[in-house]
Amino acid sequence: MVLAGAERLSQQAELINALNVFPVPDGDTGTNMNLTMTAGVAELKNKPSQEIGRAAEVLSKGLLMGARGNSGVILSQLFRGFARAVAGQREITVPLFAAALRQGVDTAYKAVVKPVEGTILTVAREAARHGESIARRTEDIAEWMGEVHDKAAETLARTPDMLPVLKQVGVVDSGGQGLVFIYEGFVHFLMNGRTQGAATAPYADGWTTYPSASGTAPAAPAPVSKPAVSQASSAQARLATESIQFPYDMEFFIRLPGRSAYSEASFRKALERDGDSIILIADDDIVKVHVHSRRPGDVLNAALAYGELTNFHILNMRDQHRDLLHPAASAEAAGEAADPMGHEAASGIPDMPELRAAEAATQAVEPAHPVAYEMADFGVVAVSVGEGNDELFRSLGVDAIISGGQSMNPSTEDLVQAISSLAADHIFVLPNNANILLAAKQAQELADRPVTVVPTRSIPQGLAAMLAFQEEQPAAVNEDRMLRAIERVLTGSVTRAVRDTVMDGIDIRGGDYIGILDKQIVASEPTVPAAAKGLLARMLASGDETVMLLSGEGAGDGDTAGLIAWLGETYPDAEVEQHEGGQNLYPYLIMVEKSD
Amino acid sequence: MSKVVLVTDSTSDIPLEMRERLGIEMVPLRVVFGEESYLDNVTLSPAQFYDKLKSASALPTTSQPSPAQFLEVYERLIAEGKSVVSVHLSSAMSGTYQSATIARSMLDDDSQVTVIDSKSASYGYGALVVAAAELAARGASREEVAAEVLRLRKEMRLYFLVNTLEYLQKGGRIGKAAAVFGTLLNIKPILTIGDDGVISPIDKVRGQKRAFARIVELLESELGAGAAIDLAVVDTPGDVEAADDLVEVLRSRFDVKGFRRSEVGAVIGTHAGPGTVGLFVFPAGAGQVV
Repeated sequence: MVLAGAERLSQQAELINALNVFPVPDGDTGTNMNLTMTAGVAELKNKPSQEIGRAAEVLSKGLLMGARGNSGVILSQLFRGFARAVAGQREITVPLFAAALRQGVDTAYKAVVKPVEGTILTVAREAARHGESIARRTEDIAEWMGEVHDKAAETLARTPDMLPVLKQVGVVDSGGQGLVFIYEGFVHFLMNGRTQGAATAPYADGWTTYPSASGTAPAAPAPVSKPAVSQASSAQARLATESIQFPYDMEFFIRLPGRSAYSEASFRKALERDGDSIILIADDDIVKVHVHSRRPGDVLNAALAYGELTNFHILNMRDQHRDLLHPAASAEAAGEAADPMGHEAASGIPDMPELRAAEAATQAVEPAHPVAYEMADFGVVAVSVGEGNDELFRSLGVDAIISGGQSMNPSTEDLVQAISSLAADHIFVLPNNANILLAAKQAQELADRPVTVVPTRSIPQGLAAMLAFQEEQPAAVNEDRMLRAIERVLTGSVTRAVRDTVMDGIDIRGGDYIGILDKQIVASEPTVPAAAKGLLARMLASGDETVMLLSGEGAGDGDTAGLIAWLGETYPDAEVEQHEGGQNLYPYLIMVEKSD
Repeated sequence: MSKVVLVTDSTSDIPLEMRERLGIEMVPLRVVFGEESYLDNVTLSPAQFYDKLKSASALPTTSQPSPAQFLEVYERLIAEGKSVVSVHLSSAMSGTYQSATIARSMLDDDSQVTVIDSKSASYGYGALVVAAAELAARGASREEVAAEVLRLRKEMRLYFLVNTLEYLQKGGRIGKAAAVFGTLLNIKPILTIGDDGVISPIDKVRGQKRAFARIVELLESELGAGAAIDLAVVDTPGDVEAADDLVEVLRSRFDVKGFRRSEVGAVIGTHAGPGTVGLFVFPAGAGQVV
């Protein structure tokens, strides 16, 4: 029986790894539990015994020696208590088994420094309690173990409600899952041990739709039809159906308007709050969305903030699942053609998007979890130009980017829309251009929530402000930090002069490249590199500053490499960093941070 | 009164010769590269580890010692008539402390063993173990030795810099530093380990020089400009330039009394990555930490 448990665990180790987010999301719970169990089993094979007391002791010792990782250690403690309870016994009975499970739980709780609910501990405890409460009802150990397993699986499904990090990521507890698999192996063994000929009956693999790394629902299994095991597997399957975390499989498109505030990062964040298997594919004006969600209405509302929605496909995966248990219904379903989105059609619902959506919507009326989207404390809207610069802003935590700059100023309305698209209580706006400052201030007046406009006049200033931003600080502290950061950077820009003129005492010829330090023209040269060098010479006062070059349209590869080499020779103490900013009009934007 | 022996795990990054001199017992964690499993600082030296890391196709994984490993050490020491102070890697980062606690609970008589969660990592608690061992060598009791560990934890200023947050992220040990964005830019997050034993960001600045300047500024505001300090610095073999520079900067700004340089071992290295520099500062005379 133990071997069957270990084997089942071993088969599913990767899945458990994928679920592992608590206590440390290092994805090794499956490996650790498997190695622990393997060590226990090896010991048992080494010193086999027909007496339960001896066998449990040997197993417990092996587990203890091989205990790896938190879940492995807890597992070893569960069996340690178990072994104590059955010490000296020759055979195991239902009441003894129940008491032993209970003692295992007690031992594990004592061993753990700070027991956390929503973990393997909870799953073990609830299963053991249930086992005790029904111990008098039956003498059939297989039937009893089946119920214990079901209770464990049911508790497992509730772990996301007990441990916030699980809910956040949208998974069940990995250690708990491991324990359920072990129990499942027990049941499987006990059932088969009793029913001859079913020993090779396969597990109904794929009957759970836990989030998996590939983001796709498992393939439909062959229904288990052997009468001897059908009762047990339908009991498992019933629970498993309920344990599908995110039952609504949704696919639809968002049509993005001309200047949309669509940000994949923040939309994804919103979807992740109550869904998984998220796939977002964005074109210029359309986004394809795929998600498994618990709350389809919320998904649609979140998507509406970015544009018009179209081509809905919403399926209830629990229905798909129930069908697996009723071969007749499945056969009907199989007769239907796959839908155009590449989904297998669900039975019972005609393959019409409208009807499916309606069906899903009705079911969504009774939410299992009355949680709405959690609002973040802060959101950041930045105006940026150039794909590289957009990416830099996103990497620093900007949630919504509006394209715009010197030659194309976004409207107040664009800014207001971007602000209201974010699921955050307080919004920071970085205009990153002097000409957009006013629109940002107006947006602040019109916005539906508190907005702080940080008066950044250039992309380098915007980046500096984001570098200073600390999510855990209050808004006023952040505003202050960002304002001070702006003062510590110099912005240089290289661009082309449009006509002959004399400015700031410098003779400028139309077509020349000029270097501008903040607002002052400090260099005018016939080539981009010459202007950039003249500008950098003015920007680097002490020579040990930190320099960032953002290259844009008009900067040749050779120009950039040459500039970096020149900087290295001329200012050996400076730290230089270069990125493809991708902005138009300015071959180079330069950020210099003064040394403190 | 029985002699007190310090037990630690391999993540305290105490050099071998110091452990031998002070009679400190070390229980190794495990590092697994694919199919190969190594004992941290026993069958895999820091230098070998960073070498292997360069050619490894996938990041290694690590695992805590089993309770049985601690039990064996505790039972042996008790049989020798010793008592034990066992100090371990922050329980927020690893189950090592948990394993040690379980081992203690399995003893027939647990009255001679104190297990402490250092709420710290690397030489950031190695220093506490060293000072405690020095005290034990002078005949202090188990209670006194344990109290010394906790007292010095409060005296210590701990900062560390990583080349990239990627390793902390992948290993799941990033703690509160998860909110630090900016992997595209040359950002040097200055990190610490809080009283809760969790990694938290202090500041993020661009470029190493500015990071060092910021650390000096933090230390000056806490200890006073030019203060006398005991200093321990850890680095990763093959990537020591940054640590050299940092030591130079600190020597120019503070009166460095005691000094210790050590290497970040394989387990901490797995989660912090090559190029990590750790800095542990005590007001001079706080304890024999180096």
